[in-house]
Amino acid sequence: MEQILTTCGFCSCGCGLYIIRNGNLMTGLCPSLSHPVSSGRLCIKGWNGIPGIRSADRLTAPLVRKQGRLEEVCWEEAISTAASRISQLVSENGERSIGVIGSAKLTNEECYALVKLARDVIGTPNLDSSSRFYDASVNRALIETIGYAASSISDLNSIRNAASIMAVGTNVMEQLPHIGSRIEDAAINGCYVVAVDPRTTRLAPHSANLIHPRPGADLVWVRALVKYVIDHQLYLPEIPETQGFEELRSSLADVEVEKAEELSGVGHGTISALAKLLAENSPLLVTFGLGVMQQADATAIIRGLANLAILLGGSILPLRGQNNAQGACDVGLTWDFLPGHAPFSYEPARRVWEAIWGRELPSEPGLSALGMLRAAESGLLKGLLVFGENLLLSSPNTAATRKALDGLEFLAVADLYLTETAQLADVVFPACSFLEKDGTFTNIERRIQPVRKVLDPIGQSRSDLDIIADLASAVGKKIPRDPMKIMAEIGMGVPFYRLGDDDRKDSTFGRQWVYDSNARKLSAVYPSHSGDHDNHQFQLIASRINYHQQTGTMASRSTILVREYAEPFAELCEADAEMIGARADESVTISSPSGSLVRKLVLNESIPRGCIHVPHYFNGDSPNALASYECDPVSEVPVYKGLSVNVEAVK
Amino acid sequence: MKSGRAYILTKSDAVMFFASLASTMRIIAPRKLVGGDVMFGAVSSPQEICWDYGHDIYPPKRFIFPHFEEMFSYTGDGNIEIRDSGEAPQQAIVGIRSCDVRAVRFQERFFLSQIEDPYFKARLDNTVLFSLVCNKPPRKECFCICCDAGPYLDSGFDVQLTDLGDRFLYEIGSDKGEKVTTQEAYMLKEAGPDDIAKRRKIELEADSLFETTAYIAKAINYISSDEVPPEVWEDLGSTCFRCGACTNLCPVCTCFTVDDLQRLDGSFIRCRSWDSCQYAGFTREASGHNPRPTFGSRVQRRFYHKASYQYIERDGTHGCVGCGRCVTTCLTHLGLPDVVKRIRRAMHNYLEPQQKVSEV
Repeated sequence: MEQILTTCGFCSCGCGLYIIRNGNLMTGLCPSLSHPVSSGRLCIKGWNGIPGIRSADRLTAPLVRKQGRLEEVCWEEAISTAASRISQLVSENGERSIGVIGSAKLTNEECYALVKLARDVIGTPNLDSSSRFYDASVNRALIETIGYAASSISDLNSIRNAASIMAVGTNVMEQLPHIGSRIEDAAINGCYVVAVDPRTTRLAPHSANLIHPRPGADLVWVRALVKYVIDHQLYLPEIPETQGFEELRSSLADVEVEKAEELSGVGHGTISALAKLLAENSPLLVTFGLGVMQQADATAIIRGLANLAILLGGSILPLRGQNNAQGACDVGLTWDFLPGHAPFSYEPARRVWEAIWGRELPSEPGLSALGMLRAAESGLLKGLLVFGENLLLSSPNTAATRKALDGLEFLAVADLYLTETAQLADVVFPACSFLEKDGTFTNIERRIQPVRKVLDPIGQSRSDLDIIADLASAVGKKIPRDPMKIMAEIGMGVPFYRLGDDDRKDSTFGRQWVYDSNARKLSAVYPSHSGDHDNHQFQLIASRINYHQQTGTMASRSTILVREYAEPFAELCEADAEMIGARADESVTISSPSGSLVRKLVLNESIPRGCIHVPHYFNGDSPNALASYECDPVSEVPVYKGLSVNVEAVK
Repeated sequence: MKSGRAYILTKSDAVMFFASLASTMRIIAPRKLVGGDVMFGAVSSPQEICWDYGHDIYPPKRFIFPHFEEMFSYTGDGNIEIRDSGEAPQQAIVGIRSCDVRAVRFQERFFLSQIEDPYFKARLDNTVLFSLVCNKPPRKECFCICCDAGPYLDSGFDVQLTDLGDRFLYEIGSDKGEKVTTQEAYMLKEAGPDDIAKRRKIELEADSLFETTAYIAKAINYISSDEVPPEVWEDLGSTCFRCGACTNLCPVCTCFTVDDLQRLDGSFIRCRSWDSCQYAGFTREASGHNPRPTFGSRVQRRFYHKASYQYIERDGTHGCVGCGRCVTTCLTHLGLPDVVKRIRRAMHNYLEPQQKVSEV
């Protein structure tokens, strides 16, 4: 009976918690009282999601498809099958016929090992993480403004000291409770909290202002807000000398504030009042969630929000979703950046990594996750390796994705369970959860934290790092299996991941990487070019609720979390329900050209007219199925928010 | 060595005392961890015991009522064989605080009255509680003094220790305490008048140092007489994060759920684990009807249970020992003292609505 300190693997807050083990059994868990994030507290997923991870349906042995069926094989066979298929596809079709997609739930070391596997060992530029389906739109927008792809808050506890907070498109109280809790504390201390969301979320009791824009219309009001701040000189005195100021100002030349208020539906007079309130109450925190990150113009909106924070001397906090979304981005598990946030097309950075890996890199980036799905559909991509991501459920348009994956000549999946994606694979590797391996996660406040092996792997499962190293050596290159060695290699090219002597001391709860606060500049925010396709009845508000996370693959294994969410539902206001002739508790069909869902109807007067609220549910009953491959043009994050759908009563 | 008597155990002898005890039972005690956290666990040597630990977050109730507990295993292949897998090692919980001892007695009444719970009983029968007096309230959230559960006890402990500097005052409070002391009696000597005086001084000082006050009596009146209007509960529920930590970490709470989990070899284990009345699924009935449908109604349930249904009506006291863990662990401000304060304030406004207007 002993306790092991580790880092929670659910959301990006990154709580420190103890797992009590007796032999190889988990007999307890509790939050760390001294840890700066958890401070004696856990959310419902921390308390209940973790015990579910070691459920009986964990994969225990590698599987290889033989005569159409997945059969258990030994590790040697699984690895050599995968390696020979990859080598064969490379020799027949070139490196670019292979793609690698990893999860932002892997450790930093595993994410980096995947970068190395793709870019160095296999030699393909087609590399991405699951963040592409969630928060990857943050990266370029923030690099172009605050100078690096992470939050600019000093730490999560500093949220309590904000004088004004603008929270946009986020269900933060349910999805990132430790941040929601600190926003509530700020409100109690007198902070003006402004919640901007089409829906009334649980931030409402703590908010001074609720603003309800139309779904998908954030770029319109954000540009107007920035324009108002500039026109009325509400910004800090030194702002006009800041790089990019003139570009920003001229990019907003077309904005008419009143027209924007009407178009976005925020209401007359809202922009001026909001601008004054935020300017007068310093320090300001601008925070935003997937509601922004998954919109058609996500990069432009985020650029706008970051500009606003810089103009008013505030800080910005992107509410990334998966627990290691920050770390996966930092170590370069993305198609358009190298480790350390350098754009792939930036030659000096490429030289650094060419030297470290000892090979030449192509001069242009490869395909994003969405690009890989498109290429699989068209037959250009032949082989795909997926680590820890239930791609079929996290990607848009489930039917099209299934077809794309079916069309691949070779699909390998490493995961904890035989997920919907793994069921389509040719080779399945049983992987370890974060309870069964060592490494680090980086949380939303840039804290690189230890993840410790608490329990032995289940069956023959191996850590993703071991699987990646096995594959690399079968293809003929070496990747270290020791997380410390990997971290040292990351540090060779990423200065802020280099461990100084001071960092080794007192690192029980990890250490925050330090950013250069002088790198900020302003950046132009142009209007949207995406067409208006408003020929459907309703606009979709997709959300996740308290008991659910991402695709639900892990959360659905907890009997308590699944129990909370009795059956899938959708919400309409009474007038809209009447219009389509549906009553409460009856079924409605929500459909788009990509797919359809049937949900039980719940009436909720806080849902705006013309909108339907559809939360994610387990086992793929998810509004993602309604989305298409349309994406934010800069980041290639698919558009999941503000979709147009039809709603009909099931008779 | 008699129950109800006070002795002296010098600190230098204490190491030997517990080392000797460790030959017959495992010693569960607070240990300081890297990073500053404190957690109860099995110690390999009494030198690991952290005597000035303050208070821990994860209540020692888990050594008697485990967070996750394997009850029995069975095979489901038609030939059903049930194998009992409950464990009940001989153990001494050393350094447990007064509030947590009081809480164990609440749990004892719950698990052992009416239908006796064999798992709980076996564990409790094999457990000796060496409680440790709080010379001052260990955390600012502590309010045991409002709940008649500390900072020192008159009864309920097997042995109670008070830190008198170079020595412990060693009080025996039960037959179990007497029995466990007899083996090592040679290390104890009778307490003198100076020792008793010193203890009295500590009591008086500790009593005056509490920062949190719960004013629980008035709230109990309002709750148990059903006077709190539903909108007050809904208002409280509107900020709840639904994490369930308040009940998980409450040393008094006893609710659990039962799962049959399949093992890799195909057999099943029946596992019980802590559950929470704050979860919708806890009270939802098979028909789909939920008698506690809203978050407010579930917060209400928690307080009705503590301040009305069970403890007041059956035991004549409220189901809270003032350990303060629900304050520390709440993501919002729904620890017991906060709720009591908000009920008192709301009742004030409710009874005198005119005044509410003039305040604004």
